[in-house]
Amino acid sequence: MAELVIFLSFASIMLFSSLMVITRKNAVPAAVYLVITMLCAAALYALMGADFVATIQVLVYAGAIMVLFLFVIMLLNTESDIEHGFQIKGPDFVMIALTVLSFAITCIALMAGKGAVNAPMETMPVDGGNTLAVAKVLFVNYLWPFELASVLILMAIVASIVIAKRDNAGH
Amino acid sequence: MGIIDSLTAFQIQLITTLIKFVAILVLALQVPPLMVWFERRAPALFQRRKGPNRVGLFRFRLFGLLQSLADTVKLIFKEEVVPDAANKVFYHLAPVIAMFPALVVIMAVPFGNDFHIGDHLITMSAIRIDSGFLFILALSSIAVYGVAIAGWSSNNKYSLMGALRASAQMIAYEIPLGMSLIPMVLIYQTLDLNQMVLQQEQVWGIFKAPVSFVLFFICMFAETNRAPFDLAEGESELIAGFHTEYNSFKFSQFYLGEYVSMFTLSLICSCLFFGGWQIPFVSYQTLVNLTGYEFIASIIGTIVLLHKAAFFMWAFVWVRWTLPRFRYDQLMNVGWRFLMPVALVNVLITAGVLSFIRFGG
Amino acid sequence: MVTTQCYFALASMIFLLGVLGVLIRKNLIMVLMSIELMLNAANIAFVAASKHVGNLDGQVMTFFVMTVAACEAAIGLAMVIAIFRKYGTIETNFLRILRG
Repeated sequence: MAELVIFLSFASIMLFSSLMVITRKNAVPAAVYLVITMLCAAALYALMGADFVATIQVLVYAGAIMVLFLFVIMLLNTESDIEHGFQIKGPDFVMIALTVLSFAITCIALMAGKGAVNAPMETMPVDGGNTLAVAKVLFVNYLWPFELASVLILMAIVASIVIAKRDNAGH
Repeated sequence: MGIIDSLTAFQIQLITTLIKFVAILVLALQVPPLMVWFERRAPALFQRRKGPNRVGLFRFRLFGLLQSLADTVKLIFKEEVVPDAANKVFYHLAPVIAMFPALVVIMAVPFGNDFHIGDHLITMSAIRIDSGFLFILALSSIAVYGVAIAGWSSNNKYSLMGALRASAQMIAYEIPLGMSLIPMVLIYQTLDLNQMVLQQEQVWGIFKAPVSFVLFFICMFAETNRAPFDLAEGESELIAGFHTEYNSFKFSQFYLGEYVSMFTLSLICSCLFFGGWQIPFVSYQTLVNLTGYEFIASIIGTIVLLHKAAFFMWAFVWVRWTLPRFRYDQLMNVGWRFLMPVALVNVLITAGVLSFIRFGG
Repeated sequence: MVTTQCYFALASMIFLLGVLGVLIRKNLIMVLMSIELMLNAANIAFVAASKHVGNLDGQVMTFFVMTVAACEAAIGLAMVIAIFRKYGTIETNFLRILRG
C-alpha cells in the first residue's frame, strides 16, 4: 500500500517533468526539469531495492551529465527565440498522434500479456547489501564488458577534447 | 520498557528516524549563527584587532556572541529587491537548492555507535544505508545546481559569469575529492561510514593514507567555495558573483548553505581520517562498561565527533584569513593538471601496496 | 501492489515522450536531452526486469547503459560546441549539407 503511494507520486512527478522537458521554450528550465526526472528515477530504483543503481544514477546522471548539459547551454548562451515560442506545426500533430497510438498499443500488450508480465515483484537475492551483490556479479560475470567500458570512456574523453578544441592554427 | 515492547520494529524505526532527523537538523542549523560570529571574531584576533565584541545582553558584553542574532534580525527585516526580468520560479528556488544537499548529506554521517534499546538496534545516523559513502559523494554533486541556477536566473551577465566559474570550479574539484576517498574504501574494505569509524580504534585514517587526507583537505575548500578558492564570491571581483542579485533572506540562505556544507565536510573528514566518534585507544566496549548504558557511550561519541568537526571549522576560518585568493586559471590548472593525476597515482599506489600486503607478493 | 507492468508502462511512456522530443524540437541540445530521457526509460525497464526475474544482471546492464550515456552526452555536446562555432546556430534545420 505504501509502496503504491510512493510509486504513484514519484511516477507522476517524473511524467510531469518529462513533459515539461520537451515543451519548454528555454533550454535551461528544460535541463532542470530533466534533473528532476532523473532524481525521481533514482527514487524509483531505490523503491525497487536497487540501492547501488539509485546512487550511481544521482552521482553520474544527475550530478555529472546534467551539469555538463547545463554548462554547455549557459556557455553557448543560445537565444530563446530559436523556437519562436515553440509552435506545434502540421507534421508535429502527426508525431504526437503516433506517440499516443504507440503508447496505447504498449499498454494493451502489457495488460493482455499472460504469466510472466503479470506476476508481482519477486524479492532480490541480497546479502551484505545491494552494492556488494552487484559488485560480485559485475566483476565476475561481466569483467570483460567492464574493462571495455573503461576503454570506451577513454575514447570518449579523447574524442570530445579533439572535437571541441579551438583551431588555433588559423583556417 | 513495557511500552517499547508493545511497538513493532517498524514503528520503532519510524519514531527513532523522525527523532534523529529533527535532532540532526536542529544541530546543523545551530552551526551557521556560531560560525557567523566566529568568522568575524577569529580573523580580528589574527589581525590583532578586536572584532565585534559589543553586542551582548543587558550590561554584559558576552564576547559579542549575540552579533549573529543582530545580523540575522537585520537580514530578515531588510527589504527584498527582486530583479524585474529574473526568472521568478528559479530565482526563488535557487537558495533552497543550495541548502538542500548539505542538509541531506549530514543525515548519513554516523554521530555515534549503534546501540540497543531492548532488542532493537538503533543507529546514530538518521539514514542507514550500506553504501553510505557513495550516498554522500552522490549528493555532494547536486550542490553545483544551486550555484548555476542562482547565477542564471538573476538575468545578470556578471552573475552568470560568476556562476559558470563557480560551477566549473566545483566540478573540477569534485573529481579529486572522490578519487582521494577511493583508497579509504580500499583500506577499510567497506562503504559503511560507521564500520570505517569502528576500524579506526588503534590507528587513525590519516596515518594509513596521508596523501588522501591532503587531497581531501584541499578539495574541501574548493567544494564549498571557501578560502583560497572563493573566486565565485570574491568580494572584490564580479561584485558578489552568483549571489549578486540576492539580498536579505535569500542571501542568508546561501550563507547558511555554505556553512552547513562546511560543517558536513568537516564531519566527513573527521569520520574518515580522524577516527570519527572514537576516542583514541578507547574502545566502545570500554566506554559502555564505564558508563553502564550503551546510549550514554554513544552520546559521548557524538560529543567527541563534534569537537573534531569544530577543529576543522576553525581550520576553514584559519586558512581563509591567511592565504590569498587563487586566480581562476591557476585554480583550474591546479584542479585538473595537478590534483587529479596525484589522486590517480595515489589510488594506484594504495591498491598496489594493499594487494602486496593482503595477498603476499 | 506495484507490479512489473506498472514499471514497464512508466518506462514506455517516458521513452515515447523522449522520442516525441527528438522529433519535435529544433534545438540540438533539446534533442540530446530527449535522448537522455530515452536512456533513462530504458534503465527503468532494465531494473524492473531484473527485479522480476530475480537476478542482478539487469542492474549491471544499467551500469553499462549509464556509461554509454555519459560518453554519448560528452561527445554530443562537444559536437554541439563545434557546430555552434562554425555555423553560429544550433538549429537542426540549418544543418543540411548532407541533404540530397
